[in-house]
Amino acid sequence: MSFRVIQLLEPPENKLVEAKLIDTLKPHDLELVERAWTPERDRLLREYLLRGIDRRAYPQSLHWRWDKKARHLRELQARATGILVGDAWQGVMLTKSATQFARLQPDRGKPLVYIDYIEAAPWNLNLPDIGQQRRYRGVGPVLVREAILQSQREGFHGRLGLHSLPQSEHFYTGCGMTGVERDAAKQNLLYFEMTREAATRYMENEVSAT
Amino acid sequence: MKNIKHRDEYSRDWLLRAAEAEDRVTSFSVGGLAADVGWLDAGSIAPAPILARFIELARRARNLTLESLAVRAEIDLAELVGVTEARQQPTPRTVYRLSQVLDVSAENLMELAGLAEPRAELAQAALRFAARSEPTVELSEEERNALNEFVKVLVDKSDD
Repeated sequence: MSFRVIQLLEPPENKLVEAKLIDTLKPHDLELVERAWTPERDRLLREYLLRGIDRRAYPQSLHWRWDKKARHLRELQARATGILVGDAWQGVMLTKSATQFARLQPDRGKPLVYIDYIEAAPWNLNLPDIGQQRRYRGVGPVLVREAILQSQREGFHGRLGLHSLPQSEHFYTGCGMTGVERDAAKQNLLYFEMTREAATRYMENEVSAT
Repeated sequence: MKNIKHRDEYSRDWLLRAAEAEDRVTSFSVGGLAADVGWLDAGSIAPAPILARFIELARRARNLTLESLAVRAEIDLAELVGVTEARQQPTPRTVYRLSQVLDVSAENLMELAGLAEPRAELAQAALRFAARSEPTVELSEEERNALNEFVKVLVDKSDD
């Protein structure tokens, strides 16, 4: 299995931690991801239940099962990418190439890389309601960076599209993506797009942090 | 298994700034809400958009209506419409019948439909085809070239 060495941040001192980025995950890998994450999802759910917190405040991806998403890898244009620290998966992303087209000018109608699913490991969620701080910072930004690189490699100039869960919208705005419209066909989720210009700014770190 | 290891290039400063966006949210998850059928229909396979585009362009290149293609392939018109609109997963029989009428390899078309494990070379050809073709009424010269190149790959009837 080929990989690239990347780095994440470990709070509270933001120490650099070496990790591996692998962009050729197989269905078997997704099963291993879920096998490791399911007990942690259960732990989080217990914490929420014990504290009597409103279900609407739960992480909106708590019900996901990556092993069930493995079927997407049968599609020709699908690719699964993950980040490993040691033998623990810290985040996973499923992308599809050229199945969706840009909605924003100046590249409206041109193909892009669509992020179908992306999620951090349960221990990397920021959950102040139950007193959990993320173990590693940077998993999301590095996966978005990887999606841009994938788009560039395929000649799509860094263009990305995705439908964000409501709890994640501020992240994608913070990455410099544009919230285009809500899609009735996609549970009324907000469709975000990264233009080629926004991708360049993101890679050069010119995105406003405000 | 081959290990290729090289360092990705971004600085600690880049990571620190980029991570600020992450700090503002519970998670950066993208996908479906709790009603997402992704965990309810685990046994199903998603419709194949590149297959849909290929069938649609191949049909138009032959000046066939959807109805006449369905008749020639002896398949249900409603299923064909669902497949060409990427709303419906075709049955193996339908894929086989379409491969006969469109004169391409049944094995390759099965892979394109997600009914068999795809090979890397077909995936690359499919990606190039998808990137160069768009769902317009008339076949542009570029679309026709993209279709012709893709057919060359698909027509490899190694299963015959």
